[in-house]
Amino acid sequence: MAVPLISTATVGHEFGPYDVTIPESRASAYVAAVGGIESPEYGDTLAPIIIVAAALTELIEDLGLFSGGLQTVHAGQEAGWTRQVKIGEKVSATGKLTAKSIRRGNHFATVSVTYSDSSGAEIGTSSTTIIVSGEPSS
Amino acid sequence: MSYINSKRSVGDVFAGFKRQITQERVDAYAAASGDHNPIHLDESYAASTQFGTRIAHGMLSLALVAEMLAAEFPDTWHDGGKLKVRFSAPVFPGEIVSTYGEITEIEDSGERKIATCTIGCKKPDGTDAVVGRATVPLE
Repeated sequence: MAVPLISTATVGHEFGPYDVTIPESRASAYVAAVGGIESPEYGDTLAPIIIVAAALTELIEDLGLFSGGLQTVHAGQEAGWTRQVKIGEKVSATGKLTAKSIRRGNHFATVSVTYSDSSGAEIGTSSTTIIVSGEPSS
Repeated sequence: MSYINSKRSVGDVFAGFKRQITQERVDAYAAASGDHNPIHLDESYAASTQFGTRIAHGMLSLALVAEMLAAEFPDTWHDGGKLKVRFSAPVFPGEIVSTYGEITEIEDSGERKIATCTIGCKKPDGTDAVVGRATVPLE
């Protein structure tokens, strides 16, 4: 099995851009997962967390964290938004590895992500910290 | 400034809510996020992990916290709101979690009032699954 990127990537490594446009089907699934009588009415807009989650899924795949033998812990998350995003609105996400260290055989990594709309304007940011242990199985 | 936000003050406790994290919700979250990691979905695989069973996505618990913030600050959460959390314990399907939050500080920069809040999501035994802080514009 190829060595996962989490083992070889250095600080400054860039990810994406990823298309994290959320269609109606995924927006509906989000409501089914999260929603309740207390939930706000989003109408044709999205909860920003679903966009962060979509980008995180892309990052996990690129980092090779689905490799057998690896155990990944999502340790921390930051996110911030400047405006609401509509269902189906084109959003792209670009990530950068901003911190990485190895302690007691565990990889600690932080990836910062910037979200942009179709005009290129920044509409949000996020930062994900993960801890990866184990070795990829062959 | 909304009427609700103009009345905000330090010490305000959010209503929060309880939600049972069923496997159906976890499955739906996998479809929404695209994260189909078997530790969330495949019981036989999850049995071989350190948790011994399936766990919910950490981001699902965080999404509940974000729902609480969106309900508390409907005019401004999506316009300048920020959060920073750590995931401190896994949530297992079937557990009922509770979101909570409180305003701990309001800063008036002259341009915009910003509320700082403690936020989190607790497991049935009272331990935090998610804990952190958020900042939300009040106007």
